[in-house]
Amino acid sequence: MLETVTLSKKQRIKAVKQDKAETKYWKPWRTTWNILSLVALMAAYAENQFVPAQELVNNGAYKWFLIAYFIYLVVVYAVGSVIHGRIRVYSGHFAQLNTILGLLLVVQDLITEKFAIIKLPFFVSFAQILDQIKTDQKLLIASTWSSLGLWLISFVIGTLIGVILGLFMGRYRQFNYWSFPFLKVIGIIPAAAWMPLTMVIFPTSYLAEIFLIAFAVWFPVAFMTIGGVQSISTDYFESAKTLGFSEFQILRKVVIPGALPNIFIGIFTAMGLSFTMLVISEMIGAKVGLGWYINWAKGVGNYTQVYAAIVIMAVLFSVIFSFLNKLQEYALRWRKRSN
Amino acid sequence: MVQLTVQNVNRVLHDNAGQRINVLEDINFNVNSGEFISIIGPSGCGKTTLLRLISGLDQPEEGQLTVDGKPITHPDVSRGYVFQHGSLFPWETIKENISSGLKAVYGRHYDKKLVDHYIDLMGLKGFESAYPHQVSGGMAQRAALARSIVLRPELLLLDEPMGALDAFTRADVQNVIQRVWKQTRTTMILVTHDIDEAIYLGTRIIVMTPRPGRIKEIVTNPLTFPRDRTSDDFLKFRRTIQDKLNFGVTEN
Ligand SMILES: Nc1ncnc2c1ncn2[C@@H]1O[C@H](COP(=O)(O)OP(=O)(O)OP(=O)(O)O)[C@@H](O)[C@H]1O
Ligand SMILES: [Mg+2]
Repeated sequence: MLETVTLSKKQRIKAVKQDKAETKYWKPWRTTWNILSLVALMAAYAENQFVPAQELVNNGAYKWFLIAYFIYLVVVYAVGSVIHGRIRVYSGHFAQLNTILGLLLVVQDLITEKFAIIKLPFFVSFAQILDQIKTDQKLLIASTWSSLGLWLISFVIGTLIGVILGLFMGRYRQFNYWSFPFLKVIGIIPAAAWMPLTMVIFPTSYLAEIFLIAFAVWFPVAFMTIGGVQSISTDYFESAKTLGFSEFQILRKVVIPGALPNIFIGIFTAMGLSFTMLVISEMIGAKVGLGWYINWAKGVGNYTQVYAAIVIMAVLFSVIFSFLNKLQEYALRWRKRSN
Repeated sequence: MVQLTVQNVNRVLHDNAGQRINVLEDINFNVNSGEFISIIGPSGCGKTTLLRLISGLDQPEEGQLTVDGKPITHPDVSRGYVFQHGSLFPWETIKENISSGLKAVYGRHYDKKLVDHYIDLMGLKGFESAYPHQVSGGMAQRAALARSIVLRPELLLLDEPMGALDAFTRADVQNVIQRVWKQTRTTMILVTHDIDEAIYLGTRIIVMTPRPGRIKEIVTNPLTFPRDRTSDDFLKFRRTIQDKLNFGVTEN
């Protein structure tokens, strides 16, 4: 009645997405950079193929990696040059970075296996790491799954405890009075300090590990949640009351969504701590997992395996990080974007 | 029939320095059901404070407020309140906001047609799935209005709901409010700075003065419906109210 709408809903969503992509991936599309990135990867392949090696390395996995990377770049470049969509924005933005990565691959290969400027066993080429991953793939996949499982269950438990405690402590003064002093004293203790005790108290080492990781998580989450609840404007509570919300509905529809931005800050703080605790507790107590693998590799003196586990952790933790990021983006989609 | 009574109400607050402020002093009036009361007065004279007492969000230091003979002790769905700084939940879409009270009171089987009806009436079509920060201030204010109206309150308190609107939409929304008032016979109490608005909508006008906040006069609106903002009678009555307000300011 009062205002007319010119764009359909679909069109608007598309426009918003395009807009978002353009502010996040801001480097403009340049044909030169796209081609340079392809050239850099070809150089990496040629260098690995033709420069004689000083160290004995099986380069098969590395070459496949370079080919896959190359094909990926060709595909996004081809799609980007034809269709003016998000892939173009993305490919244009990262073309410069891909070029430099290609050159870095050349450099690292030259200084390790080709000229042995930095040497085995402490420094290895990327090709050696990939070969190690390929050789140990069964063990590494099993370790990765086991670490992921342990992390997930512990992180969920820790987060739930933190959120629930935080919501109640933020909302109810009585509860806060009785529990906050304990939170402050117990929460500030580094989880690692409990390690010797947990190993003897818990019936299995798996339970002990869950406890240690969850312990690293709950405190930052609870602490941020309390602040989040307390920062919610009273306006929202008052309108909820005049709209007939019950206390439970206020918790669900005002307190939780209102505290959610802070809960996520807590979750991201806790994430880093949880990765640390995961690796440490696996190194000490476990018979499986990436932390155990590193410890075992160190024991037998195979540092290539240590690098292999580190590379896999980098991938695994980045995946978890971007998943949590996506989750946050979705859960807080109602927020005004600050840029 | 008397619906709301406000008797000898005083509201005393303390400023940051601990000084007592008599925000409201000796407030007395009755509201019959179906009336449209406009409250007008300069900024800081206690209009919001008064509405908060009526809604039950605050309690007075002295005096008594009753609805249908029962003292007001806490907020209730039967008394809708549209806040001065529209307080839509930022984490809900416009449609979710408008339905939120209905969902809270009636559960999942609330009247979805009613929501769509008011979305239409308030000119919010096409913005159902937008979040409050994505719509204009005027739209947000209209959504806040719809959110309270769909609950069909017996008494609707409006704290400058049109403060953020431009002249064009303002007139539109005034007409919507008037139509809802006539159709549903909901008692309404509207706080405003705008004399024309107070006169156009109100059956009685309460004129307030600041420091301490007092009722200067309660004036019955002689104009019949439909009202014409440019008629001689309207302009004459406008002058009367204007004089009372000006006098109120210079007196202090
Ligand atoms: N919580 C409070 N503590 C102390 N003083 C307050 C408080 N709330 C309001 N006041 C004072 O009471 C007076 C009336 O405030 P109120 O918000 O009711 O005014 P108003 O008539 O609604 O003004 P406006 O038209 O600007 O909205 C003001 O002088 C204000 O400073
Ligand atoms: Mg006010």
